[in-house]
Amino acid sequence: MERRVVITGCSAITPIGCCKADILKNLESGTSGVGRIRDDELLVEQLNTSVFGTVDQDVAYDFPRKYRKTMGPVSFAACRVVDDVIEQSGLDRAVLSSGRTGVAFGSSHGSTSVLKKVYQACFNAQSTEMFSLSAADYLKSMVHTTAVNITRMFGITGRVICSPSACTTSSQSIGFGYELIKFGVQDAMICGGSEEYDTTTVAVFDNLLACSTHYNDTPHKTPRPFDAERDGLVVGEGAGAVMLEEFESARKRGAPILGEVIGFSTNNNGGNLIMPDLAGVTQVLEMGLDSAQITADRIDFISAHATATRIGDVIEARAINNVYGNTPWVSGLKSYMGHTIAACGVIETILTLYMMEKGFIVPTLNLDQVDDRCAMIRHTPRLMETNIDYAAVQNFAFGGINTSLILKRFCG
Amino acid sequence: MEREEIQTTIINFIETNFEMSDIGLDDDLNAVHGFDSIDAIELLREIETLMKTKLTRDEEEAAMTIRTVRQIVDFIEKAMADRA
Repeated sequence: MERRVVITGCSAITPIGCCKADILKNLESGTSGVGRIRDDELLVEQLNTSVFGTVDQDVAYDFPRKYRKTMGPVSFAACRVVDDVIEQSGLDRAVLSSGRTGVAFGSSHGSTSVLKKVYQACFNAQSTEMFSLSAADYLKSMVHTTAVNITRMFGITGRVICSPSACTTSSQSIGFGYELIKFGVQDAMICGGSEEYDTTTVAVFDNLLACSTHYNDTPHKTPRPFDAERDGLVVGEGAGAVMLEEFESARKRGAPILGEVIGFSTNNNGGNLIMPDLAGVTQVLEMGLDSAQITADRIDFISAHATATRIGDVIEARAINNVYGNTPWVSGLKSYMGHTIAACGVIETILTLYMMEKGFIVPTLNLDQVDDRCAMIRHTPRLMETNIDYAAVQNFAFGGINTSLILKRFCG
Repeated sequence: MEREEIQTTIINFIETNFEMSDIGLDDDLNAVHGFDSIDAIELLREIETLMKTKLTRDEEEAAMTIRTVRQIVDFIEKAMADRA
């Protein structure tokens, strides 16, 4: 038995806003959320890059202490967006605690600020600091901290999936949640990802020469996906969640239906853990369409992974061309906020849902001169007023993991 | 340190750090105030700071059965007496 899966709530904390109105305003005006990296008194002075996708707005984390005490910043953000999607969807506590509602959520690491505290205690030779580590530090820093803090705060008793797969963390979360509902294992899944401000992640990409460095004095001009003058990615922070539900129960409850997930694919390149792979990426895009049981010409819009690395964008453009030709509009939404790593898949899904609802598509920011090697696809040239009936959201991760999510505008 | 001072210090610590209020000396901290094992470990670290000494493993395990503030104060008084 295969069941329809709809989205009944979505919420994001992003460098371009922490509510729908702000995010839409900044998308429509082409306003970047990239700024100067914040000083961490650890690594920042040694980095070549000085830019970061920062969340500057104050976000209310007014949770009772009994929930806060096991949370680092990564879980605060996760629980904030999940609180929002539960309220939007209208699912009550009885359903959340029925065993038929689960969580698929992840982050690249546990709370990185708490991990730093743990390491500082371990590497202090004189230390009595070891004993200063609280019992909650492990719960804050373990890799599934977001997923289980969500279950604790909202009394969720169903399946827990934690998919910390770097840049595909939250797209896999949505995909795995979708499959559980589609095949009748769960009736509702809260899916998403969260990424805490973390300069160690920046340092890793910086050492790999993957970070943007030419725009340190003009942060809003980077990243530049598909542009001839792109020079690498910009790491960012953020979080996002979607509520997925089985269609019939959502309809009977009168829940708001924001869109439908109709397909998901994920694969691995089976080789290099860093470099993108044309065959692997092409295959996952084809598999996504197969899963959705639609042909490539039905897709109106592609949210490209588009990190603005020199090689990655070229491989992605070729894969899109292989599978979709040059028919669908293509935009790289990281151009507005940088790469929010574990949160990027769900944030890009939410931005796509917003555009689907409003009937427009935003262009890739900073795409002034398309790289010849990326020119074989249909780049969105400006803000286009057009309907999106079907969209693909694609993400690719270190480790060779690829995903494709296929979304459909809800038509009853 | 006098018993009353210990008692005041412990209650202040719990109310300030654990956001609990109106703590009675004989309240079951778990049942009445939601005090759990994470809080208990954190409180043990505070007791060590208060006593300026480290608790033994046996003392820590014994402390985990404590339910009330009165029992906590008894525990601290005994541990201090054992070290006197």
